[in-house]
Amino acid sequence: MNVQFKKGVLELCVLVLLDKQDRYGYELVQKISDQIEISEGSVYPLLRRLTKEEYFTTYLQESTEGPPRKYYTLTEKGRRYLQELLMEWNEFSNGVNQLIKEGVNQ
Amino acid sequence: MNKEQFLKQLNASLTRLSLEEREDILQDYEEYFEIGMEEGKSEQEISKSLGNPKQISKELMATYHLGQVEQTTSAGNVMRAVWAVIGLGFFNLVIVLGPFIALIGVVIAGWVSAIGFILAPLGALFNLVLGNFQLFDLFFALGLCGIGIFIAMGMFVATSALTKGFIRYLKFNASLVKGGLKND
Repeated sequence: MNVQFKKGVLELCVLVLLDKQDRYGYELVQKISDQIEISEGSVYPLLRRLTKEEYFTTYLQESTEGPPRKYYTLTEKGRRYLQELLMEWNEFSNGVNQLIKEGVNQ
Repeated sequence: MNKEQFLKQLNASLTRLSLEEREDILQDYEEYFEIGMEEGKSEQEISKSLGNPKQISKELMATYHLGQVEQTTSAGNVMRAVWAVIGLGFFNLVIVLGPFIALIGVVIAGWVSAIGFILAPLGALFNLVLGNFQLFDLFFALGLCGIGIFIAMGMFVATSALTKGFIRYLKFNASLVKGGLKND
């Protein structure tokens, strides 16, 4: 799939995953790569960018095994951005689905 | 590629970032490796799934440059402000100091002549001491003294008016400069 297209979608995926609970980087990457084929390394740059843009805050939490994990929390700003992206996505995917349906039925 | 090679390559292509930020980024990937290895993956597997470190650094650098643009704009703003302040210095040297000196000159000249005129009868008295006294001199000196008093009264009004006017001019000057800065 087109790389730029995937990047935009990746943003939405990360935001959606953080909507209900805080998660750490590895968890986010695994959740997404379970569903979509991505280059896993590109999620971290995305996380950094969205953190810089104040959509997330981060905190470190000790884990029972291994090193402390960096958790990401969605901010109010991030939540608003998620709503925006969701609306755009729904419009977009509905449009594409409609076109596909018409195309297939012809 | 094992963990060390991956982190080394990534680090090498991020040299333009601050040490703090670079360490933070490497920390993220280190964490990723550690958790992956706990789950039984090999270093090679993890680095393969992460992808090319050069590609990752490209994405990170793009974010960095974007941030830089914002910073340089604000640095440009600061420079403009500094330049405006320096410019203000030169500007005021001519526009403010010039009229100020001229005004001071006029005021001092006015007061000196007023005082000189008022003190004219003393000259007549001085002549009296020297034995060179003429009645005409006394009346003339008294006349000058009267004129001097009028000049002094005029100067008194003029000085306060000029002071007020000059203060207003200074304020106008400052607002002109502030207005200029606002437009930037």
